[in-house]
Amino acid sequence: MENFICVGGILLVFVLIIFFYLLNTARKRNAPTTNKIGKKDYLPVYISLADKPQSIMQGMDRLRIEVQRTEKAGDKWRWVPLIIFFVGVGLMSIDLLLILLGYMSFIFIAGGVALWIAAIVMARGLRKSDSQDFAPRYNGTKTILHTLRDDLRPSTTFLGHLDLTGALLPTKVARTSKDSQDRTTEYFRDEWLALKAKLYDGNILRVSAIQKSKKRKSYTKRSRISGKYKTKPEKFKGTEHDLKIRIVANPEVYTVAHTSPTFKHGLNIGKFTISQLDTEGGIISFVANSPFEEVEHENILQVIQSAYSLLQRKAA
Amino acid sequence: MSRKVIPFVVAFVLICLVMAVSAVFAFSGAVTAEKFGGSVTWSQPYATAESMKVINLMGDDQDELFIQNTSNVTIFDGSGNALLNQNYQSPKTTLGDVDGDNKEDIVVFYVGNQGYAVDVISNGKVSTLAQSLNIGLPARVIVVRFASGPQIVLGDSSGGLLSLSLSGQPLWKYTVGSEEIRGMDDALIGGKTNLAVASHDGWVVVLDSQGKAVWSKNQESLRRMRAFDLNSDGNSEIITGGEYGALFVYNAVDGSQMYTQGMGQAVSEVRVVELNGEPSSREFVVGGKDGGVWAFSFNGTAKQIWSGSLSDKVTEISGIDINGDGAEEAVIGDDSGSVAVFTGSGSRNNLDSHSSGITRIDVGKLNGERSVVIADGSKVDVDKLNFSSIPGFQYTPLVVGVIISGVILIIAAILVSIPKRPELKVSFQDKSKESLEAERRMVKESIADVERLRKAGEVTGDAYLARLKRLRGDLAENETAFKTAGFPIKVETIQCPNCGGTLELGMDKCEYCGQVLLS
Repeated sequence: MENFICVGGILLVFVLIIFFYLLNTARKRNAPTTNKIGKKDYLPVYISLADKPQSIMQGMDRLRIEVQRTEKAGDKWRWVPLIIFFVGVGLMSIDLLLILLGYMSFIFIAGGVALWIAAIVMARGLRKSDSQDFAPRYNGTKTILHTLRDDLRPSTTFLGHLDLTGALLPTKVARTSKDSQDRTTEYFRDEWLALKAKLYDGNILRVSAIQKSKKRKSYTKRSRISGKYKTKPEKFKGTEHDLKIRIVANPEVYTVAHTSPTFKHGLNIGKFTISQLDTEGGIISFVANSPFEEVEHENILQVIQSAYSLLQRKAA
Repeated sequence: MSRKVIPFVVAFVLICLVMAVSAVFAFSGAVTAEKFGGSVTWSQPYATAESMKVINLMGDDQDELFIQNTSNVTIFDGSGNALLNQNYQSPKTTLGDVDGDNKEDIVVFYVGNQGYAVDVISNGKVSTLAQSLNIGLPARVIVVRFASGPQIVLGDSSGGLLSLSLSGQPLWKYTVGSEEIRGMDDALIGGKTNLAVASHDGWVVVLDSQGKAVWSKNQESLRRMRAFDLNSDGNSEIITGGEYGALFVYNAVDGSQMYTQGMGQAVSEVRVVELNGEPSSREFVVGGKDGGVWAFSFNGTAKQIWSGSLSDKVTEISGIDINGDGAEEAVIGDDSGSVAVFTGSGSRNNLDSHSSGITRIDVGKLNGERSVVIADGSKVDVDKLNFSSIPGFQYTPLVVGVIISGVILIIAAILVSIPKRPELKVSFQDKSKESLEAERRMVKESIADVERLRKAGEVTGDAYLARLKRLRGDLAENETAFKTAGFPIKVETIQCPNCGGTLELGMDKCEYCGQVLLS
């Protein structure tokens, strides 16, 4: 009897797990995926930019629509695995009825289990058609391109990339360091936006948005008191943003001022602070730094706009 | 192959598999819905029967139920009324025609007032055949129909044998080992009856009508010995079950070993059961002390047909054709009171369990009805067994297979209807020459930028290589775009033949995988 209760209990747990997995598939209540630091994961998109603004923006819209179409096509059938589960239950109940009547039969139970497996396979397939959300940077970049579209020299294109594959990928580890306790800290450098544009006024604009993150890797240490080994999980130590901008001024149109009341070293512009500024040789080159994890497109545009205050139009 | 076709191909393969398995189950007869049941016709109190048989003992053309325990011999009529109730001290019984009336009599070997004695009960009348016999405590008794004439052979608890004529005169004596006689059975040699005897200390002997040993063997301590002509060749096979699990089959002619297997537990019972309904060969079922049940066929050597189990020591095995298909089912009882019917394929069906251990099971006609008699520790029940089955049930695997196949097909159709996930690495590229050239410059600038970062120590190791690999890849794509558009281009990249990574022309070694390049 104890064996029966034990085995029955384990089977019941399995059945409940399958049921709730299929129910959550049907109700589209998947646990949101998070990355190693517990932040929400976004759709890992990488876009090479080498086209006119309108084409890029249309392409970005098209990509969004295609992702949504795939997701919607799967949504239509989300209840089917649960229905198959109940068909399996129906088949199994035939055997249970036969057993209650004194006949030993397991063929319908076997069939029911096969249907459950089929339902799980289908649910997995449907869940694969689910997509994460597009990162806010996706829309933000689109807005930046939209804002700059009329400033672009005719017949030229935006060049660069939008890399939203993630800031903490192993391929983005810029360097590592070890402390006195032999703990390894990884420094990530994620240049998620690189943009080059020849502008209508003859200037060349280069924008580079870099997210710099720091993470201590997991490590094992021995307790001084108990002598037990303990594994400490990895720890996210913080992130910041660098916005590197270079404007090569058209010498026929502009002279470059060394400083301006609205753009100088140490000035706060939105979430950014100007940390380096160089205006030698007719080129404005600066780095704006932000301690925030997320910077919005408004801040980037605001910094570019402020940098233009260093340019003084020559008299005609 | 198109992604619209692959799911259907996979579905087709799965459907073929499912239907093949279904067909195997359907046409092998492995799937049946059968039910065995029983209802008690009558029941009488009778403690721990040692011997029991449904047989005509009263000379009235009706079968009676003979039953014996450690202190009593009783005959019940078909309705459960006691026709004879005789008490004995330590009786052992057998059935055989002693008085020559062609009807079976009960031979009782017991401890009498004047020593060890033998009684014969014929047609309900008790008469003493012999007494003050020179033998030990009763262990077994048998009536053997030797070619030279019938003899009553008595076995005692220290291995002694004493043969009596039908008039009670001692004929010969023999000693088999030094422990209790555990089995005495007819053994055919060349169609002639001999006597097979086994003692608890492992001696197995075949004796002729003069009490002379034809052969003898010694093996591990044994619990059971039975002799059957399993393959109807006129020579019996002697089956022994050991205290430590050894099952032996000996040839009655010369004692040669025909089969042996370790059962993993003491063998507590061995019986012949006609499981396959083919009478030219007999099957036998072995029960173990820990509840194991094994069925064997025999055709020169034994071959296991199936195995099963009960929850306690198997105490009795009986072959009964319950469903009237010409093959017997094995009705098996155990020490916990469970009774189960094992079919020819080994599937188990439980009957109502008893409150104490099963001691004997037999089948026969009582009151004109085919009945199964089950004796346990406190009573004897006469049951009417019944059998029912669902016609056509063996084809249900095909129905289940069709349902599963339908579901597989539906799933394949749904998965095909879902469009492919869009590629998440996309490139928006203007195909004009100016644009491609600008892109090329940008990529080269980016490569130079990465190199500068590496020199400054801001980017090292894998991150540097990964970024460089991606930018070089972009450069290669740019070259391809040039070529596709028909613009002249000076190729500056090559692909590593080992890892496929893009490298700059002129490199001798792949930076990503270390492959030496000979181009």
